Amino acid sequence: MEDVSSRGLHFQLSDSQRNRLRKSRELLREAPGNYHPSAFVNIADPIHVENEATVLKGHGTQVLDGQLLATLSGVVERVDQLVTVKPLRCRYNAETGDVVVGRITEVGTKRWKVDINFRQDVHLMLSAVNLPGGIQRRRTVIDELNMRSLFEENDLISAEVQSVHSDGSVHLHTRSLKYGKLTNGQLVKVPPYLVKRLKQHFHNLKSCAVDMIIGCNGYIWICAAVDSLPSNPEIEKITGDSGAPEMDSCNESISLKVRENICRLANSIRVLSALGFLIYPDTIIDTFDASISKGVAIKDMLGAEFLVMIAEREASRRTKNNYML
Amino acid sequence: MVVGLSAAERRYLTDGIAQGLRNDGRGLYDFRAFSVELAIIPQANGSARVRLGATDVITSVKAELGRPQASRPSQGRVEINIECSSTAAPQFEGRGGEDLSLELSRALYRSLLCNNGTGPAIDLSALTVIEGKLCWNLFIDGLVLSSDGNLLDVLAIAVKAALSNTGIPKVEVTSAAAAEQEADFEISDNPDDFSGFDVSHVPVIITLTKVGRTYIVDATEEEESQMSSAISIAVNSAGHVCGITKRGGAGLDPSVLLDMISVAKEVSKSLLSTVDAEIMAAESRGDDQM
Repeated sequence: MEDVSSRGLHFQLSDSQRNRLRKSRELLREAPGNYHPSAFVNIADPIHVENEATVLKGHGTQVLDGQLLATLSGVVERVDQLVTVKPLRCRYNAETGDVVVGRITEVGTKRWKVDINFRQDVHLMLSAVNLPGGIQRRRTVIDELNMRSLFEENDLISAEVQSVHSDGSVHLHTRSLKYGKLTNGQLVKVPPYLVKRLKQHFHNLKSCAVDMIIGCNGYIWICAAVDSLPSNPEIEKITGDSGAPEMDSCNESISLKVRENICRLANSIRVLSALGFLIYPDTIIDTFDASISKGVAIKDMLGAEFLVMIAEREASRRTKNNYML
Repeated sequence: MVVGLSAAERRYLTDGIAQGLRNDGRGLYDFRAFSVELAIIPQANGSARVRLGATDVITSVKAELGRPQASRPSQGRVEINIECSSTAAPQFEGRGGEDLSLELSRALYRSLLCNNGTGPAIDLSALTVIEGKLCWNLFIDGLVLSSDGNLLDVLAIAVKAALSNTGIPKVEVTSAAAAEQEADFEISDNPDDFSGFDVSHVPVIITLTKVGRTYIVDATEEEESQMSSAISIAVNSAGHVCGITKRGGAGLDPSVLLDMISVAKEVSKSLLSTVDAEIMAAESRGDDQM
């Protein structure tokens, strides 16, 4: 119960459920593709290396009294001579090209500040966004005054990491039609280390009429698919000339069916994150389908029985096909 | 506004509530799952920690011997004091949590102790040792460690759990002195020699948060940020309403209020049985560890 509780879900497991969860945890621990237990280090644990002098000391390590020690608790990773410790729990570490979901915290001169669960708020420059209408031109003072009409404080946006600077600051850009303001859906936050980096972070689940943006920063946006919404002639008229699906801040009414799908997906993600499993479209949809085939109500997906069931599924899946993650 | 939500999210949230499906898949009158831990503060006579979502509260009960008030010689005294930890949320920093703390303490006091038709939830006359001379005073302290909405309901559960965990040492009166003399008494040294506390009359509080035209039970912080008003209704196991507290600026139609009370009564039945079951489970876990 304790380890489940620590991730935001609180319920008592019955004895049999606790045993089942323990059993699947043990199976998962021994499953192929997992780190060997000896790879885990705690802070100040010595890291064994063959030749101290030739080793390159990477992040999370330090030499003290001629011995290489870990300064983080995590997994030791070795690439040739480089020894690093990858922490188990950490904030999002921005890398150029990552798709992220962020929340505007501040509108400044020529830039927005965005919270993307990074160590500090990151910048989105006015010159790094598409102007409405999609015209390419220099940004004028008028554009600066109209910044709030693009993104306001607290607005959620999807963006891409443009650059990570050596002083630790990060710049985003939304210079593509797929990026921009997010509407008609809900945000789910998960620890960023559970999100697998993939080629594709925008997903359209046609069967449920839902779009999903899995931000590398652990913010996941689930919304009604744009084409599923009742088309609004007025909006089409506005966007007709630019050709962009203009994201208007006013939501369309979402049918209950689509909303149920969004909720079910969101709860699938919450369950996966409570169990500490990797989050990517396959696992999310697998959990989603499992909940439907077992006839689990959406609100019961955050209950003990479903959680244990998903843990068991994952354990049997990984041990059965020797599936390397 | 405490919770930063974009206009689109606000609309999505309120629309969902209007459609009867909330963001975490709950219906309008569903409570989140919660966990109860008992006896987490060894120095106190009774204590409990209740966690519901990211809401996390600790309550403790401390019993002290004292003189009863002259106006109520046959009753003990109970004080309730809630504190919002500055680490719980940015808005509690400094003196920011004081208003809310006071509001919560008052609401709890009103629900648990005000002498209305149903009588106080805590039997004050059971706290008397010698009438007019000696009684137990209970100090109920609550600490909000983190807040994810619905604080009052969680605090009420935590107070109930802490009281069920409370043991009051046996007091032996050695000389039945005359009225004007100080009484001699001895507190039992045996740690197992204490009397428990009857919590069957302690109510649970159900807060109905009105968002748009509908009202919901057990609102999260995000949902609370969209509320127009909230009514907290304390209901005991007999189904009697023990106290009502209103928060939020907007007014309410009396007919809505009556609807809310009947909903609260309905919800309280299942909540009370869950709370009792959780307290029982926590007790048995505590026994296992010993």
